[in-house]
Amino acid sequence: MTPLPLLQNALTVGAILFALGLVGILTRRNLIVMFLSAELMLQGISVSLVAWSRFHGDWGGQILVIFVLTVAACEAALALVFVLQAFARTGRLDAAAWQSLRESSLSRVVDQELPSIDTLPQVWPTLSPAGVLPQADENEPLQREHV
Amino acid sequence: MENISPSTLLMLVPLLPLAGAILTLLFGKALGSRAHLPAIAGIAGAALGSLVLLVGTSLEVGVAAGVHAEPVRPVEMITPLWQWATVENAYTPAADTQAAIPGTPLSATTHEARPFSITVALRLDPLTATMLAIITCVGLLVAIYSIGYMHHDPGYPRFFSLFALFVFSMTMLVAASNFLIVYVFWEAVGACSYLLIGFWFHKPEAARAAKKAFLVNRIGDFGLAVAVFLLWMSYGTLDFHDTLSANGTIVPGILGQTRLADAGGYQLSDAAGFAGGTIGTVICLLLLLAACGKSAQVPLHVWLPDAMEGPTPASALIHAATMVTAGVYLVTRCAPLFVAYPGALVMVSIVGATTAMIAALIATVQNDLKRVLAYSTISQLGYMFASLGTGTLLGFTAAIFHLLTHAFFKALLFLGAGSVMHSMGGVIDMRRFGGLRRVMPITAATFLCGACALAGVAPFAGFFSKDEILATLHSKAWPEAHGNHQQESPAAGHANTEMSRLMPTALISSAGTAPVGSPSGNAASVKDGLNSLNRPDVWRVLFLMSLVTAGLTAFYTFRAVFMTFTGPVCVPEEAGHSVHESPPVMTLPLVLLAAASVVSGWVLWSTDWLAHFLSATPSLTFAAVAQTAVAPVFHLNLAIQGTLAAAIGIVIAAIGHLGRRSDGPQMERFLGPFGTLFANQFWFDQLYSGLIIKPFMLLATLAAIIDRSVIDGLVECVARVPLAIGGLLRQLQSGMLQRYALAGVMGVLLMVLALAWQLRS
Repeated sequence: MTPLPLLQNALTVGAILFALGLVGILTRRNLIVMFLSAELMLQGISVSLVAWSRFHGDWGGQILVIFVLTVAACEAALALVFVLQAFARTGRLDAAAWQSLRESSLSRVVDQELPSIDTLPQVWPTLSPAGVLPQADENEPLQREHV
Repeated sequence: MENISPSTLLMLVPLLPLAGAILTLLFGKALGSRAHLPAIAGIAGAALGSLVLLVGTSLEVGVAAGVHAEPVRPVEMITPLWQWATVENAYTPAADTQAAIPGTPLSATTHEARPFSITVALRLDPLTATMLAIITCVGLLVAIYSIGYMHHDPGYPRFFSLFALFVFSMTMLVAASNFLIVYVFWEAVGACSYLLIGFWFHKPEAARAAKKAFLVNRIGDFGLAVAVFLLWMSYGTLDFHDTLSANGTIVPGILGQTRLADAGGYQLSDAAGFAGGTIGTVICLLLLLAACGKSAQVPLHVWLPDAMEGPTPASALIHAATMVTAGVYLVTRCAPLFVAYPGALVMVSIVGATTAMIAALIATVQNDLKRVLAYSTISQLGYMFASLGTGTLLGFTAAIFHLLTHAFFKALLFLGAGSVMHSMGGVIDMRRFGGLRRVMPITAATFLCGACALAGVAPFAGFFSKDEILATLHSKAWPEAHGNHQQESPAAGHANTEMSRLMPTALISSAGTAPVGSPSGNAASVKDGLNSLNRPDVWRVLFLMSLVTAGLTAFYTFRAVFMTFTGPVCVPEEAGHSVHESPPVMTLPLVLLAAASVVSGWVLWSTDWLAHFLSATPSLTFAAVAQTAVAPVFHLNLAIQGTLAAAIGIVIAAIGHLGRRSDGPQMERFLGPFGTLFANQFWFDQLYSGLIIKPFMLLATLAAIIDRSVIDGLVECVARVPLAIGGLLRQLQSGMLQRYALAGVMGVLLMVLALAWQLRS
């Protein structure tokens, strides 16, 4: 394949990945999903970098991507810690749960009233022992719903 | 010990009280009731040193040789300590050097730029030695008295620390040999005075009195500051003494021997080595203003009576014996400057005599014992100024003589009043006690000695010094009665009228050319106007005022004595049951001071030692003053006049108050409208309140309103701009992550679009 169509294809894939990530980060409120979308955008860019690198016959772009991957791995670890901490505080993964950080004079944005979790017992997901079929917890769907 | 040089001794005199002050400050709390020890040790050492210096200096001057036909050799010792500040090439004389420093002989040096260098140097001459002895000796006695007087006070260490600090400042003031150093310690004694008047700062009256004293003194200090600036501009140095410049030439000091010797006859004021024209007159008047502030002369006298809110020993030392005499010292020190301008001199006398009279009149109706003494201090300082203003050697020495005797008897009277107050439980109103001579015999006897000295009763100290002052004024008023002395002192005497007759023609022609930097017509007319006051009839009025004041002095003094010590015993209830004579630590200084009040006048007058000694002061050795030396003739008719005035005063006081209780404002009623006038202190306070304080308060209120509304409003407007912008931007902070992300995306899109637009076009 000649370099130009290869570049076009790769850039298309990169753009699609980026756009998917962008849409995801703008529409989803789940912190983990938002984080995944951000990673998706990152990888879209990485694909374009590799494509351009290949097109120009220059290793610089690919080296940069290796660095991006490394940094993304570190960043993922940190971001997950933050997400877990945020979850521990509110019991929710919803980003809107943190909108109390807004300017105090503004009113709250409510698109969908969240169910109150005060009435629910705090049941945390547990891991089953290895090699054993996980036992279904009857409360789990309930917990999942507001995660 | 016998190897200590005079310079070391001179350094020790201020240093020991300073060390005492610092030690008392640091360890006062630990020493407790013995906190006075470091301070008193320091002052005692200084007193000893001063006396040794006095004896040493007087040996150097030599004994009196009868009528001094020739000026005495000036005696002066300079001890440079360190260089305080130096600015190279600070003073460049004007192109026409003669205009800048008329008559300066050292033409080689006058054209060079000179550094502004302030050397901290101490000087020793007869005037300084006399002042040091007075300050430290009276200071020591008052400090010993304070042990008894202050012993209950919680601020005991603070008092002694301030007291020693004052003695340090005052000794430095009279020992400094540079106008700037004089200014520094002029302020320092003012600060000590402020701190001691406000010693009981929790009393609102004391705090207010301290503030008033400080502020009124600022006016005088302002005069001194401007005078120092003008002196620098005119002379290019601020040193009293001659100094050596870097290349070994002599820079003549303002009062240095080079200039004084060059001034020669001092015959012609404008050309006689001293800054000529208007500047010279203005310097003298500013120095007089400074002296008026510190020495409580009209119109700046209002602070002294209020200063009595301070502890009595502080009043005795600072506001009677020493600090208030700083003005007298300053004028005496600057005698050559004043003698060059007869107009300024006569102003000194007019201020002095007026003050003496006004203060004496006010004192006649005061009922507060300490206030009587305060007004009498103002009055006696007025006497000294009246004497200084004559510009004759006798005038200057008589003023210092009166300063010395006054220091003794006024300190004695104040300490006596303090003793009464101590015993009466803090009551000082003379109407509320009486007959105390039976209760406090020592205080009564010593107070009587002081009162006799103050009133000018014959063998007591005040009689001789007051007689000399009256004689000085008399010799100006009726020169023909005093032989031909006046004929020899044209510059000091009848300046302009007789001068042309007596001057050699050459000098007159130089007088015509001298005032190059000379006055505009208006200013010159002021100077001529002042000079025209120097007439015998003016002096006659001043003499009569002084004579009347002598009578008034005797009256109010003995009124106080009769009201306090005679009649039936009467004690206010505040005193409690244990009315007693003061302890020995308080009566001992009283007795010593009483002895000094009795003998000092007679001894010094009969031997003529002081006048001879002082005449060796460089400032007083120069021709114009020395020529006017009047032999200490005992003017019988003058002595009779003075004694008669005193006797009349005492008799009237006896008729009014001896053995009688006076409860109301008896004196005031007796004097009618004048009584009201005197009781309200000639409405000076009200006048200042209406003319100065009220307008200033109004201005301050106005300024406060403008500050709060206009200026603060502007500042707040500026502060509101970011607040408003922030209010708009605040709407964006919704707390929704997606919105922030959307804003970011929009921003990127905008940038991409802009980029694309740019690339396309």
